[in-house]
Amino acid sequence: MLKFKVKQICTALALSTAFIAASPATTMAAEPTAKALEEGKKLAFNRSKGNCLACHAIKGGKLAGNIGPALIAMKARFPGKAGKQELYDIVYGKKARVPKDISMMPPFGEHAILSDEQIQKIVDYIYTL
Amino acid sequence: MKKALLIALSLGVTATAATATYAAVDPEKDRQELVNFFMKKNPNIKFEDYHMGAYNYSADKMAQYESVEEFPPYLDAIDAGEALYEKDKAVYDKCFGSDVSKVRVKYPYYEESKHRVQTLESAINECRTAAGLKPFKWKKGPIAQLSAYYAYNARGQKINVKINSEGARKAYEAGRKMYMTPMGQLNLSCAKCHTYNAGRRARANILSPNLGHTTGFPVFRAKWQALGTLHRRFTGCQKNMRLKPFKAQSPEYRNLEFFEAYISNGLPIDGPAYRE
Ligand code: HEC
Ligand code: HEC
Repeated sequence: MLKFKVKQICTALALSTAFIAASPATTMAAEPTAKALEEGKKLAFNRSKGNCLACHAIKGGKLAGNIGPALIAMKARFPGKAGKQELYDIVYGKKARVPKDISMMPPFGEHAILSDEQIQKIVDYIYTL
Repeated sequence: MKKALLIALSLGVTATAATATYAAVDPEKDRQELVNFFMKKNPNIKFEDYHMGAYNYSADKMAQYESVEEFPPYLDAIDAGEALYEKDKAVYDKCFGSDVSKVRVKYPYYEESKHRVQTLESAINECRTAAGLKPFKWKKGPIAQLSAYYAYNARGQKINVKINSEGARKAYEAGRKMYMTPMGQLNLSCAKCHTYNAGRRARANILSPNLGHTTGFPVFRAKWQALGTLHRRFTGCQKNMRLKPFKAQSPEYRNLEFFEAYISNGLPIDGPAYRE
């Protein structure tokens, strides 16, 4: 299971890594429902929420920017559970591919732009692309 | 090649944060590095064309711009500026001299006696106040019209901001720091959009390079259907960064303008420029 919730709590409380290992990850639905995916898409496209289209081309999105890479073939590029976790970490802001003082990718979780649940939904959605 | 510059550009900021040993920024070296960065990034764009902002990156938009320029929508605003000038000519001539082509190019400058940056707009309002006239509102309307009138009469002259004192250097450095530092909910900095990603699109908007940022101001923006000052634009960008913007003509924005203008030294003034 993805350790999203745990990660966030750890950041907030600055708990030890030993605790992460011992603590069970929160259970999220293994296969997102069609409704949840639709919600993820809405969050990703909404200008005041994810606004991912400002920077990323996404299938079905209009007037997309090209600051970031196109969000395409996500499953193939981020395979398996580890891949999906990595996507979550990128959107959350825990994992930067480029130093943060240079990267345009907003730290959606770290800066509380989106809730953990919203990020989860967006990641589930972009994983279908 | 891009990496090298990014490191150079972020050096001042990182060095201060990490070690507290303070490496003073050399503005002229800084400016040349930025120019070289853009020259290498886009060898086809000539230095003198950097007053054209984002239009340099799109043949389509450049064509639209050129067709707009055939019947410029800002001519009425320049006339309005001229009328304002004529109305209180004696007041302005006393402050700025009677040759209207020699005013715009003096600004912004570092005013040693007051330890701060003086901009054309702040000087206009100080001049009015000293003569017992009501100051204009910042950002748009009469202040932008009068500033546009002075800019129009100075078209083609080169931006020539001078840094001759430690005070001026510090003002530059403060502006530079503001330009470089990620801020706000989205963790964005001016540099992320206008240096590292200049030429790319945020949604449908092409990001202009900061080299040349101040040349066309005050600009006539189609979206505003009117003129707006540089500080009006700063306000808009800071709002997009989900920040509470600073006030027009605040010390922060004056320093930012000083930095942006110095970086654009050698480029032709072409205010009021048309922008989307
Ligand atoms: C302001 C610009 C911007 C916005 C808005 C933005 N991103 Fe990004 N994103 C980037 C950039 C630039 C990168 C490239 C890596 C870097 O610079 O960190 C990136 C990288 C990524 C990556 C890694 C892709 C890869 O192929 O390596 C993913 C996944 C991603 N973004 C998802 C999202 C999602 C989902 C949203 C909306 C919730 C979003 N981004 C919003 C700019 C943005
Ligand atoms: C999220 C991206 C983004 C950030 C961050 C940003 N801007 Fe902008 N800025 C834009 C866009 C888009 C435009 C309109 C297109 C363009 O660049 O001319 C613009 C326009 C401008 C212009 C007008 C350029 C012209 O030729 O008319 C100036 C000046 C400017 N920005 C300065 C700044 C400063 C200073 C900051 C930081 C306080 C900043 N911007 C932060 C996106 C951004």
